[in-house]
Amino acid sequence: MVEKESYSIQLEEVDWNDTSCLITYGPLPDKLILSIQTVGLIQKPLLQRKSNGLLRIICGSRRLAVCQQLGLDPLSCEVLSTSTSPVASLRMAIYDNIAQRGLNPVEKSLVLTKMAQHLDQPQLVQEFMPLLDLEPSDTLCGRYKKLPALEEPILDAIARGTLHERIGFVLSALEQGDRLAFFNFFAELPFSVSVQEELVETVVGIGGRDNLTPTQILDSEEVNDLRRAHKGPARQRAQQIRKQLQARRAPRLTARKERFAREARDLGLPSGVRLIPPPYFEGPKWSLEFTFVGDEGLAVRLRNVARLAEQARFQRIMESE
Amino acid sequence: MMYLPQRLVIEKEVGDSPLVKRILTTSPGIPVDWVDRVQEDTVSENGTVLEIVRFRGRFVKPCPGTRSYNCCGYQILNFGIQCNLGCTYCILQAYFPNSNLRLFANTTEMMQELGEHLLNSPKPVHRIGTGEFTDSLLLDPWTRMSEVLVPFFARQSKAVLELKTKTTNVDLLESLEHGGHTIVAWSLNPSEVIAKEETGAATLEERLGAAKRCQEWGYRVAFHFDPLLAYPGWQQGYQEVVDRLFSAVDPGGIAWISLGTLRFMPSLKTVIQQRYPNTSILDEEFIPGLDGKLRYFRDLRVEMYAYLNELLLGIQKDLCVYLCMESDDVWRQAFGFTPAERGGLSAMLDRRAFP
Repeated sequence: MVEKESYSIQLEEVDWNDTSCLITYGPLPDKLILSIQTVGLIQKPLLQRKSNGLLRIICGSRRLAVCQQLGLDPLSCEVLSTSTSPVASLRMAIYDNIAQRGLNPVEKSLVLTKMAQHLDQPQLVQEFMPLLDLEPSDTLCGRYKKLPALEEPILDAIARGTLHERIGFVLSALEQGDRLAFFNFFAELPFSVSVQEELVETVVGIGGRDNLTPTQILDSEEVNDLRRAHKGPARQRAQQIRKQLQARRAPRLTARKERFAREARDLGLPSGVRLIPPPYFEGPKWSLEFTFVGDEGLAVRLRNVARLAEQARFQRIMESE
Repeated sequence: MMYLPQRLVIEKEVGDSPLVKRILTTSPGIPVDWVDRVQEDTVSENGTVLEIVRFRGRFVKPCPGTRSYNCCGYQILNFGIQCNLGCTYCILQAYFPNSNLRLFANTTEMMQELGEHLLNSPKPVHRIGTGEFTDSLLLDPWTRMSEVLVPFFARQSKAVLELKTKTTNVDLLESLEHGGHTIVAWSLNPSEVIAKEETGAATLEERLGAAKRCQEWGYRVAFHFDPLLAYPGWQQGYQEVVDRLFSAVDPGGIAWISLGTLRFMPSLKTVIQQRYPNTSILDEEFIPGLDGKLRYFRDLRVEMYAYLNELLLGIQKDLCVYLCMESDDVWRQAFGFTPAERGGLSAMLDRRAFP
């Protein structure tokens, strides 16, 4: 059993800078403020006396913050024995929180980062990742452990759920300025999470090849022209920017697609017939799609296409430049 | 160049094997850990550890080609895995997450399986190589495996051995009876690529020097422009390689030359980015191929193959140049014919193996 006793404490005794057991992240919930305002503190926070006489917060950091905000002082709290080890205190903080609510991704990253200072990797992965509803994996654990180093606006967005943690993972590999450039870019335009991931890879790829930073690319004139354009809905602008960046990253594929579109148009395929190249123009399998009504409609299209197939330009369309 | 790791981990079970005895004799003073069994999840130490184990699988396997592209029908004799040359693009980084070198000590079983395979297989010709999962000659000065393999193949009537390497470890080959049944092959790239992407391997000059020596000892040689890398100025870079190649070796003694542009499993991309953040090999645009590997866009591949083929055939018209893992339409566009028009890629190479 945990050795603890009830004490009345002054809030000035709390060491607010000691975050060793702090795993909560995000704004104070309005309902918690309302609750404490209305009925007072129902559940006592848990603290631990430090060698310098101050108190380390173990559980109830948000309750304490609300009390401070409301000027409720002194407070009745539980105080842990000094003999409780740091890892035991941290474990209490974690289990106390997960018993009450689901943690946001930033909080999960704090749990893994702080516990990593006390446990070896296999124990951390096997005990704590399932507890956090995460797949027990070294790789995933490594990704979460990089999140706390991200900038506050990014962490706030991840904690709020407006930026997916997967984007946090990919941003963690970049320089600070580039992270914030992407963050602002994604805050401005509606991209799905997978497209955001794709865009980071695309922009980093362009940068590596052209010796530019992601910030320089995202702030380039051609991207900015589209970002700042007031014409058209944001979704449409987002699509245009994505297309432009893809074309810049993959100029050969883009040129091939454009050539194909031009040649397919010039081929004069009958209406209701569509020529589909193999994915990425790789491999020999091309497709024709027919839309028709009745057997006569099909017969007409087949005759027209058969005539086209004999032409040299139909063969050329399938070849490289 | 010396590639012998700094520590040996040897399974006690194979302590009396000829391979272990040879290595302990040729590399005295290297610390040895004797273990009951090397575990699959041993700590990976960047090629500084050599594990010597008993192999429990099949030693002879077909090359892992896919149906979507033309495969050369090569077979692999698997005497070990991993390599410590540190090439940035190396596919072994994805095949084997553990970077420790590993050799299979039960070579008697290996040679027995190989003999039975050659005896029982209906294939008219066997082209067998040891350079798929490791470099064929990387550890040869210490393992002296060439002394086992080369004379064995010299006695075979329908099999050739291809030793693929990026090293100059050919000294032992000089005195061996090879009977024309061993082909020594080098992977080639421009010097600027070698300096950036193949930092642990021999220089171009050294590789060509070793090839020249092998030709002088009567061996046929082969070259693999694989991976061909697209970078600004690649045309000039590869032209220089071809020029230097033919000023070093006799084109008449070249069994074959393969071309293959950079391709890799998607999982390798992250590994490369983490291990070699400054490499530029990922700068080019890649598309997923029919085998799921990432490869250059088809138009660029065709351009590179056609360019190299023209350079090579411009020097020696009857060279056997082939594409590694490419489709018929790329063959046709780059070379003007498909393998099927010449009896199939396997048959093309078989004819070169036994001219």
